Amino acid sequence: MTSSLEPIVFLSLVVGGIAAVILGGVLVALVVFTLRYRDARRVVPQIHGHRTLEIVWTAVPLALLVVVFVLSLVTLGQIGRGATFGSLEPPVRIAVTGHQWWFEFRYANGAVTANELHIPAGIPVELALESTDVIHDLWVPELGAKSDVIPGQRNVMRLFTARPGTFAGTCAEFCGLEHAWMRIVVVAEPRADFDRWVAAQAAPASASGRGLDVFRSAVCSSCHTVRGQVSVSGPSIGPDLTHVGSRRTLAGGVLANTPDALRAWVADPQRYKPGALMPRVPLSDADLDAVVAYLEALK
Amino acid sequence: MSATALVHRPGAFATAGVLRTVDHKDIGVLYVLLGIAFLAVGGLEALLLRIQLATPNERVLDPSTYDQLFTMHGLTMIFLVAIPILVGIANYVVPLQIGARDVAFPRLNALSFWLTAFGGVLLYVSFVAGGAPDAGWFAYAPLTEPSHAVGGGMDWYVFGLAVNGAGTIIGAINLIVTILLLRCPGMVMGRAPMFTWMVLITSVLIIAAYPVLTSALVMLLVDRQLGGRFFDPAGGGNATLWQHLFWSFGHPEVYIVILPAFGMISEIVPVFSGKPLFGYRFVAGSGIAIGFLSFGVWAHHMFAVGLGDAENAFFSATSMLIAVPTGVKIFNWLATMWRGRIRLELPMVFALGFIATFVIGGLTGVSLAVVPIDLYTTDSYYVVGHLHYVLFGGTFMAVFAGLYYWFPKVTGRLLGRRLGLAHFWLTMVGLTAAFLPMHWLGIQGMPRRVWTYPEGLGWDWSNLVSTIGAFVIAAGALALAANVWRSLRSGEPAGDDPWDAYTLEWSTLSPPPAHNFESIPSVRGKRPLWDRKHPDRMDES
Repeated sequence: MTSSLEPIVFLSLVVGGIAAVILGGVLVALVVFTLRYRDARRVVPQIHGHRTLEIVWTAVPLALLVVVFVLSLVTLGQIGRGATFGSLEPPVRIAVTGHQWWFEFRYANGAVTANELHIPAGIPVELALESTDVIHDLWVPELGAKSDVIPGQRNVMRLFTARPGTFAGTCAEFCGLEHAWMRIVVVAEPRADFDRWVAAQAAPASASGRGLDVFRSAVCSSCHTVRGQVSVSGPSIGPDLTHVGSRRTLAGGVLANTPDALRAWVADPQRYKPGALMPRVPLSDADLDAVVAYLEALK
Repeated sequence: MSATALVHRPGAFATAGVLRTVDHKDIGVLYVLLGIAFLAVGGLEALLLRIQLATPNERVLDPSTYDQLFTMHGLTMIFLVAIPILVGIANYVVPLQIGARDVAFPRLNALSFWLTAFGGVLLYVSFVAGGAPDAGWFAYAPLTEPSHAVGGGMDWYVFGLAVNGAGTIIGAINLIVTILLLRCPGMVMGRAPMFTWMVLITSVLIIAAYPVLTSALVMLLVDRQLGGRFFDPAGGGNATLWQHLFWSFGHPEVYIVILPAFGMISEIVPVFSGKPLFGYRFVAGSGIAIGFLSFGVWAHHMFAVGLGDAENAFFSATSMLIAVPTGVKIFNWLATMWRGRIRLELPMVFALGFIATFVIGGLTGVSLAVVPIDLYTTDSYYVVGHLHYVLFGGTFMAVFAGLYYWFPKVTGRLLGRRLGLAHFWLTMVGLTAAFLPMHWLGIQGMPRRVWTYPEGLGWDWSNLVSTIGAFVIAAGALALAANVWRSLRSGEPAGDDPWDAYTLEWSTLSPPPAHNFESIPSVRGKRPLWDRKHPDRMDES
């Protein structure tokens, strides 16, 4: 199997094929009857019904639906909770937490990242999903199914891709003002690369300099953890920034992660993501440069 | 015979009498006018949404405004447009179709109209009272809990829908009693017109489904104003409980707004095919089957919630099952046309458009009942495309067909053919351009209810086409408005029976007198006017 999307595509083609035949039949009948019987000049037979015909066009769709239903159960087995996708390896487990408006991903070795999900190619991934506030939904279209992310409930979803690649993902359940910018990047890489990445992400931060002092003294540190340097008491409000410099996007996909974009974002988050919970923090140009340099160094 | 016929004065509608009328025809017209007024509002909201989505990273609207507009667009179109227009047509037509002088409870009828209207006013007051509801028309908790929805919008949602729903419930009771008790001599239920049948089933669904919504609204109000925690997991509540309650109302609601449409199509297709409805008993029976099944399908809105495989399989099976009686109706309409004499008058043109678009919405609906396909498409633009094909391509196309069909009865004048055809083609092209690309957007991964979207995902063209389609639909609506305006001023007189139709409303004057009929008719078949016109070929009773 190439991905957890494949069984859904196959089933969709079957259902779509049946639907296309029915749609075609109805439209052809509609057009042919309209043209053929338009203003017909003859005595119109007053036909009130036909029991056998009625039974036929009740039974045939019913039979088709039974077939579709059975196929859907088979497909569900291929992508559901216990799916192996043809792989013999045990699944890699990743904890997902939905926040307004970003996703947090926690790995077994302690690595934590935000809005960027790295997974090994060729090995099933089991996501355990929970939310800290409202209902979200994690969807990576190229990997198939989605799952709601619900406060007070732990959902489990398995995804798989045989091939390495980068896939766009998103929150699919309306979750408030910035539902649109709750987008993620999924990076599927060969097992060895994945292992290296996840080990590096688990390590504490290594950058320092004046930016760290600014980060600590400004309000940044009341929401953002930088493991080994800044810890937030209580549940995380903002994304863990320990390795923010290594991420591809900022703020749920609003901006690409470049030094200029990061500077613009920190200077005025509401300009790019109106409604985001990150406030505008008044910083001097020098302090802003220092914080951006520090964050970009958190590789 | 009701008391209203005695107090009603001719021409009262044009004067202050409109405020205190209890005549079913006046109230029917009021309902439809209310629906059309809100249609203009809901349509403008849709155009604003589509302008914002026309291009990526658009900033015409901010996210807060966008969320209020998409929420109010949905609430408006369902509760303040579809329901009032359908109830209004039922109010006007059903007593005439069954040979009655009025509905069973004329004063209650007025009450239900004014409650429905007042509920709409309450919903819209929110805009000037601190912000409209902004959590979507199905308003999933805990986004609506006081911890997340700090403004008053959700309170207006509760009050507006509760009051509006009370009006709808009262109206449904009235219609049920009217249909069950006031049919003219000879009209056993097995001879009742199909529109009357579908209104009866819809009304039963309303009194079963709406109280569930009202209960859920009260629970939400307790959470918001009295510190309750029904839907707040942080306080021991359950976030998905709201979804179960809402959709056990919400899915029957879908059939509440489509069954009367089926009824109208089942009147129009036979008349303009010169034949009786094919399989009357199957069509009525399939309506009853849809009514029952509609209460067992709600969790197909919740396949991604994580209910469990067995639960999902159950609701998948029931949801597929409901497609069967729906398909039966489409086949019966086609069989009605078969070997008929088809007259392409405007009501029939719209009825044909309805069948073509509704079958697409019905088939995509089946795909959403298939759990693995739903897990991909749910909460995406595919669903937005599907629901607009059903509600606009279905309900609204049928309402247009009904409007062209019964307008001559209500006003005594025909609507113009040229403007009518312009309305038809603009609507068909517009709805295809607006809603077909949405399916593709969903398949490409665009989630619904996003106020903007990034470029580079291949969504740009489809969104632009969709926006253009929305404006084409609006142009069609203007053609309809111009048509109504011209017809009221100088339309061709319709006569009592312009369509050579079958049912009793066409046996009285256009517009009908206050007391509907000179003398209460009696019938001996399903098509009393056919029997009268063809004494040699009368229906077997």
